[in-house]
Amino acid sequence: MKSFQYLAPIPAFEYTAPRTLSELFETLDGHGNELQVVAGGTDLMIAMKERTVAPKIVVDLGRLRKELGGIAVEDRVLRIGALATFSQIESSPFVARYANALRQAAANVGTLQIRSIATLGGNLATASPAADSAPPLIALGATVTLLTRSGERVLPVQSVFAGPKRNGLRAGEIVSSVEIRANEEVRSAWTRSAVRDENVLSTVSVAVASTVKNGRFGPSRVALGAVAPTPILAEKASGAMTGSEATVEQAERVAALASEDARPISDIRASAHYRKRLVLVLTKRLILQIRSESMVL
Amino acid sequence: MKVKVRFRLNGASKTDEIEPNQTLCDYLHDIAGTTSVKKGCDTGECGACTVLLDDMPVTSCLVLAPQVDGREVVTTEGLGTKLAPHPVQREFVEKDAVQCGYCIPGMIVTLSWIFEHAPGASDAEIKRLMSGNLCRCTGYLQQIEALKAARMRR
Repeated sequence: MKSFQYLAPIPAFEYTAPRTLSELFETLDGHGNELQVVAGGTDLMIAMKERTVAPKIVVDLGRLRKELGGIAVEDRVLRIGALATFSQIESSPFVARYANALRQAAANVGTLQIRSIATLGGNLATASPAADSAPPLIALGATVTLLTRSGERVLPVQSVFAGPKRNGLRAGEIVSSVEIRANEEVRSAWTRSAVRDENVLSTVSVAVASTVKNGRFGPSRVALGAVAPTPILAEKASGAMTGSEATVEQAERVAALASEDARPISDIRASAHYRKRLVLVLTKRLILQIRSESMVL
Repeated sequence: MKVKVRFRLNGASKTDEIEPNQTLCDYLHDIAGTTSVKKGCDTGECGACTVLLDDMPVTSCLVLAPQVDGREVVTTEGLGTKLAPHPVQREFVEKDAVQCGYCIPGMIVTLSWIFEHAPGASDAEIKRLMSGNLCRCTGYLQQIEALKAARMRR
């Protein structure tokens, strides 16, 4: 009877909202599991209500929007701050130009109310296998910058995911930003299947990024969500797509390989078998979409 | 330990000492007296507790009360009054877009935001944007009609 828990207040904790990064790292120092960082809070609030997370100290990043927010392009790199909300990502012209798949995914996260506060950094740090932002970022070859008191680490997005709801952050480390190469030639697209259109976890999500020139696919990446313990790069599919002829038959071959790359489980949303079929159908659909877009131009 | 917050609530500056483990929804309804803010699911699914936080609709059950420090909160009370209702509020009355009423304050907040920020939204886009507000009695058509009627009169 988990729902009865909602009637009781969240257990008491100490709350602090650092005003500078150095104040933040001072606060993070020397605390372990009893400390919880909150960005948008849309996942954390539910976890605290369900008592799956019970921090003694909550550290709110909300006052660091200047340091950890914003969306900008500089030196041919699209940089999205960890505190950028999905609403901001959805409406950013930079994201539309350089990371269409991410824009599509952002527009489909939760509801308007969730997108208004949920952040990209929070989505990555929560590390759900169904995190909607992950497949687009993996397909686009994005990196994540992690920050500690002593410096930064830059990792490929998939390395931030250590397991279901388990991130690869070290103690005292926070997500600072996500970087994507700002290349107008790269076309990317995202789609998903879910039991309804809105306010729902994805059953399967797929993102594809590629360039098409002279009838051939250039460097290509296919990424999958909700079909493995973490979002994954579909390696066989990406390898087969890169440099191949941009034909319908090739799209079918790549989609079949993506389905082989998927390692889904059966759960309340779908069976493993159905998820593998979905990967095949959605991947083919995206590849053909990217192919036809580039033929028009 | 209580936390001191200063923020704007429906246009007026407000200072308070609040328990950090309180949701913004509980704080607004039980303590600040803005009783239009309704607790429905308490998990960010139903939208009954929707308020504007820095001019974006949020489910206040997913916000910790101290997170409003330095920010601006608007509830349905702040959108209009009985004598001078918001255009969307007025059309809700005209179009009978109400049955039990529990979801209505949240609906009004979301639809007033769509009214201001997505004035050209198509029916499909309106439905996408209001998918976070659930009504279990009347349905949704009268609410969409009310929004469109408000737009016509602008």
